[in-house]
Amino acid sequence: MLRTNRITPYLYLAPMVLLLVFTFGYPLVAIANFSTRRIRGISGPFIGLENYRQIFKDEVFRQAVEHNLILLIAVPIMLIISIILAVVLFERIRGWQFFRSLLFVPYVLAIPVVGVVFSNILQLNGVQNQILRSLGLERFALDWIGNPQITLYSVMAVIIWREVGFGIVLFLARLQSINEELIDAAKVDGADWGQRLWFVIIPQLRSVIEFYVVISIITMLAWVFSYIYTISRGGPGNATIVMELYIYNFAFRNQLPGIASAVAAILFVVTLILMFPLFRFRSETAMEEMG
Amino acid sequence: MADQKTIRINRRDFLKIAGLSLSAAGVSTLLQSCGSPTPTTAPAVTTAPEATKAAPAGQTLKMWWWGEQEAPGLEKWMNETIARFKEKTGHLIEPTLQDTTVVISEFQTASAAKNAPDLQFLWNGIYHMESVWLGYLDPLDSLIPIDEIQATNPTRLSYFEGKPYRMGWYSAGPMWLYNKEIFEKAGLGEEPPKTWDELMDFCDKIKSAGFIPISAGLKDGPWGEWFMGHGLGQNLDSPADAINLFIGSLDWREPRYYEHWSRVEELWKAGFFNDDMNSIDLYPGIDLFGAGKAGMTAIVTPLAASQAKMLGSSEKVGGMVFPVFGKGKMAGKPIADCQGFGISSQSKNKEIAAEFIRFMHEPERVEALWEASNVLPMDSSFDPNQITDPLLNQIWKGWVGNPEAVPYISNLMPVLFWTDAMFVNSQKIIAGEWTGEQAGQNAYEVTQKWVEQNPDLVEKYSQWAKDLGA
Repeated sequence: MLRTNRITPYLYLAPMVLLLVFTFGYPLVAIANFSTRRIRGISGPFIGLENYRQIFKDEVFRQAVEHNLILLIAVPIMLIISIILAVVLFERIRGWQFFRSLLFVPYVLAIPVVGVVFSNILQLNGVQNQILRSLGLERFALDWIGNPQITLYSVMAVIIWREVGFGIVLFLARLQSINEELIDAAKVDGADWGQRLWFVIIPQLRSVIEFYVVISIITMLAWVFSYIYTISRGGPGNATIVMELYIYNFAFRNQLPGIASAVAAILFVVTLILMFPLFRFRSETAMEEMG
Repeated sequence: MADQKTIRINRRDFLKIAGLSLSAAGVSTLLQSCGSPTPTTAPAVTTAPEATKAAPAGQTLKMWWWGEQEAPGLEKWMNETIARFKEKTGHLIEPTLQDTTVVISEFQTASAAKNAPDLQFLWNGIYHMESVWLGYLDPLDSLIPIDEIQATNPTRLSYFEGKPYRMGWYSAGPMWLYNKEIFEKAGLGEEPPKTWDELMDFCDKIKSAGFIPISAGLKDGPWGEWFMGHGLGQNLDSPADAINLFIGSLDWREPRYYEHWSRVEELWKAGFFNDDMNSIDLYPGIDLFGAGKAGMTAIVTPLAASQAKMLGSSEKVGGMVFPVFGKGKMAGKPIADCQGFGISSQSKNKEIAAEFIRFMHEPERVEALWEASNVLPMDSSFDPNQITDPLLNQIWKGWVGNPEAVPYISNLMPVLFWTDAMFVNSQKIIAGEWTGEQAGQNAYEVTQKWVEQNPDLVEKYSQWAKDLGA
């Protein structure tokens, strides 16, 4: 039997640990440091928690947080659409391979391209409303990206349209590796499509669902900047401002990286807090699966 | 056989190669970070323009610029100017055409990282003044003779504590255009409206004739900035008043300071804008004018000729000063503004950078600028008699060369005001959510926020207000 010194494995791990500490740890420390300073250029005087105080009293920040939270509504919508479409494709409907590719195409497109195209389609006199008007549906021809009451939901719809493709491919890949005998047995037992989906398929997708939900939550909290910037630029009148845009404005436009760092720190902590129950849930599930 | 040609690499070999590659990359990065972004020579001497002679030949300078977006043809001129400069001096200028959204932020970010370009295109006013206060730009009078700087009329907004930080390049002042044919169809004369009541009457008649009275696109924000420049200025006596508003020494909640937002509200409620104003960007809004669908539009001087071209002839278009409703000393005055260039305080070759800027302003280059892009050069050496286009001629006489012209006060607003007040107010008003008065309240609150977040800049702003009020 090969015998090694107790310290040897740690020595092997050390370079990677150092790399991780540097690549992930340094930015976190730098952000924490910046968030307590009034940065001009690359440094500035220590001002304690003043940046945080400024953020929490800022109505625009409150709006940004609220909008990120509203965008979380998209997560269950994307999940349901993705699962249903993946199951339909899994059942090998005629032309399923074509539809699989078609549904994945939006996800392949670059977000700025999607944003620019939809910002044209969704204008008051854009293609979508022209079609609605030509169909006699004038009252549904709304100002999709010019009306503060609905613009965030228009952006959310675009996000769902693009991001669903990833979910479909993810679930389809998992479905193709599940034991089809279980489904066949359910069919023999008289289970209808909905029952098979709910009682047989979804339980087997559990780990992928968890992964997709986590990824989607992170997307909605910290990965929607490109959509917002290209479709609405945070407007009209802050109606679509989100935390990322708030950070961008302070870091690069207002040249106050201290405040931007404070928001980034908050966003990091909030994301961790939201992720924690999910990881815990995942860990419990893994324990159950191991018996 | 493919198998025989395959190079076998075991894990040990792979690790060796990877290690060597990483080492090479690391050493290379270290070397780069130890050196300067541009080849260095002796420390820069910033005392006299003659110092250029001391710089060794064959230096390479970085230049970040903008302009092709609003004046097609500038890039060709710039490349030609760079080529001729290299021919003349041996120095190479490496240009980077910047995107509109990063012109200011990229320079400031690069400066903060000590990696700024030698030469930087600069918009006027606060868009470069914050860089001055942060120490990222050098005053130009130590590098270029002051009479040459003044000959490019960079405007008062390029000076701080008496020192110029920008050379003027070409005119880019905000103004309004009107369509003479639409005016005629609406039963109006050839003269544009001069007062607010006249404007409302004109808009009413244009609308009745089946046209959009005023075309605009507000989604990306600059239209709101332009309107503020035309409207707020009318109730101010000097640019210093604007700064005092932005730093809270004057109160936005006073009716005269939010009146321009109330006027936008009035125009919108009367149906005098295109209905999709909030869902389209600035340029598509302007293009409704060029498409012959709108009677009037706000514009900047470099874009005027292209709109006239879209309509088929400059004869069909007239320039106008925004009609008067305010009572300040700046009311009814044309606005003059221009684009420009400055020199980074981090440049190791400031003298060469200055030499290049001076080369850009040699009479032959100024003529070439006009020929290549039809922008109106700011140089006093430019002969306006060669302007045959009636619209451009009107712009030259009425705006660029008009001694009565006033600075563009929107160039004085802090960026936070741009994002949180100007951008928000105009869109909320068009969405029907706010009145002019509520816009004034928001402007007040944003000003208070900016003052709290930037106590170190308030003093600089106050000094600037003194400069501009003097």
